[in-house]
Amino acid sequence: MTVIGTAALNAPIYVRYQPDIEDELTRLSTAIGQTPLLQRYHPRWLAIQLLEGDSGLLTEVQNAPNGAPVLQVLNDSQARLRAIYNEDIDVILTDQRYRFVNTLVRRVLTRPATQRETLSDRVDKIVTHRLLGIPIFLALMWLVFKLTTDVATPYLEWVEEAIGGPLTNQLVALLTLIGLDGTWVESLVVDGIIAGVGGVLVFVPVLMTLYLALAILEDSGYMARAAFVMDRLMHILGLHGKSFLPMIVGFGCNVPAIYATRTLETEKDRILTGLLVPFMSCSARLPVYVLLATIFFPAYSGLVVFGLYMLGIVAAIGLGFALKHTLFKTKDRVPFIMELPPYHLPTLRGIWTHMWERTASFIRRAGTVIMATSILIWLLMAIPTRGDGAFADTELDDSAFATVAGVVAPVFAPLGFGSWEASGALVTGFIAKEVVVSTMSQIYGVAEEEEAAEPTTLVDDLGQVVTSFAGATIDTLRAIPLIIGIDLMGTEAEDEAEPAGLMRAAQSNFEVSSGGHGALAALAFMVFVLLYTPCVAVIAAARQEFGNRWMWFSVVGQLVIAWIAALVVFQGGRLLGWG
Amino acid sequence: MLQQVLRAFEEAREPLNLVDLARQLDVDQPALEGMIAYWVRKGRLKESQATASSCRAECGPTCASGAGPCPFIGKMPRIITLVGTEE
Repeated sequence: MTVIGTAALNAPIYVRYQPDIEDELTRLSTAIGQTPLLQRYHPRWLAIQLLEGDSGLLTEVQNAPNGAPVLQVLNDSQARLRAIYNEDIDVILTDQRYRFVNTLVRRVLTRPATQRETLSDRVDKIVTHRLLGIPIFLALMWLVFKLTTDVATPYLEWVEEAIGGPLTNQLVALLTLIGLDGTWVESLVVDGIIAGVGGVLVFVPVLMTLYLALAILEDSGYMARAAFVMDRLMHILGLHGKSFLPMIVGFGCNVPAIYATRTLETEKDRILTGLLVPFMSCSARLPVYVLLATIFFPAYSGLVVFGLYMLGIVAAIGLGFALKHTLFKTKDRVPFIMELPPYHLPTLRGIWTHMWERTASFIRRAGTVIMATSILIWLLMAIPTRGDGAFADTELDDSAFATVAGVVAPVFAPLGFGSWEASGALVTGFIAKEVVVSTMSQIYGVAEEEEAAEPTTLVDDLGQVVTSFAGATIDTLRAIPLIIGIDLMGTEAEDEAEPAGLMRAAQSNFEVSSGGHGALAALAFMVFVLLYTPCVAVIAAARQEFGNRWMWFSVVGQLVIAWIAALVVFQGGRLLGWG
Repeated sequence: MLQQVLRAFEEAREPLNLVDLARQLDVDQPALEGMIAYWVRKGRLKESQATASSCRAECGPTCASGAGPCPFIGKMPRIITLVGTEE
């Protein structure tokens, strides 16, 4: 870009308006010039300000002696211009100033014949491409979940071992030291708090990996492109394009996503988007998928998790399409422009901040909501309602929890998971989705507790933690090239490890409740978890934003859709001979 | 020129990005920003952006992170919509 003729710019420049406007400015300037009190202003400047409707100057003219003739000329001028342009006069004047500046810039600047494309432009041509944009988005999401499941699994196992082994051993030793071993306090700590909270904390490495991947996508500027690409798809389907912005927020947590619907203009669009947001799989649901996918689909766990996220998007778009053409019929004309930030290399600090804030939030939830729920569930599991057990010393099948969950269980029988264990986990999952895992961990942990560990010393335990961390790191490094199919160390030849403890109990439970179709029942269970009400916080947000009626519509609708989808998966799969 | 900006919004069949619109109208992006800002002041266009601050204010105790800023909301892209075209 070259600047030429700068000398010409030293002379004063007047914006020349269209002749009819210039005529009115001349008339008005003359009238202003004849009013002594207004002569401290440049007449042309004041004329332009008055035509544009500057209220302060208008008052000054009204109060000036002999101001009335100026006002008369002003009113006549405005009337004539409105008749010609059929538009606000300030719009006409501003438009002409922009034209003037544009013409001036073209005269003094020489631009290259073709604008040089920036790197962002070149990347955008591919990632926001009409045809390539969506496959690229899907491929990146697949990579995210492959990383989340494959790379994080060794650390997941490490945390599981550390909590189930050394931490539990040391706590039990401490309780023994103060004479509480074998009491209900030990049961509360081990079967309630450690099993419940620990069962969820096990998934911290998985979530940290997910947050790491999402932070890289966000900080690099890609997430905005993903929203743009999906917006376009939504728009093509006749849905409100802007709806996908809150829906992308929903991948993290559905609660802020419900509030983000406020960016939509009409109430109908806000409610419709609010109904779709819960189908976006929030990070709290990930531990459920990872747990069951690892047990039942160990070789394809990444693909299963990716498939569930995609199913959530498809369900949201499908439902949105149906509602948009029935309950939420509108003349949908909402063109919009989106600003795509330039790409940049994410900083380590930025990524760490994003990742840590989200992980810390998850850990805080484990220490509050999940701990409280775990204690409540332990209490229900400790109270006998039948049989001859006593408090904290009863068969699980005879507990209050089993009795209550057993009432709901028949509803889920056609879906393949009609046991009180699975239905109990789903009921508690209304509080928060992580609670599904903590409940399963408590139930199946107690069922497997016969495998008591041998007494160990603190040094043994610490040694085990360090050794297994090193093992997890090596396994993770092995897993990274495997994502793209490169087997550097012959790891694929290794046998799949037998599921242990909790996993074995869960596997056995699903096999029994489904009549030998455990994998199908687990898949149906995950589909149900994906589609039914995310948590009470989302219900509260929906009530606050859309009112009681739509809140109930949302809750009941999600339950019905989840039930039907899980039924189709289980019964359809059986008919097709799968699982 | 100002009218061209509004016309581009009215005639858009699908979402556009700001850079493409500037190219389409053959104006510099800062000039386009100025014109958009003008129409926003006039109430003919509307700008919106979901940000963490909106979560901090609205989410409150129901938010996963308690009273602090909600961590689960990235800075979403700024979007500009034509006002008065919706039912």
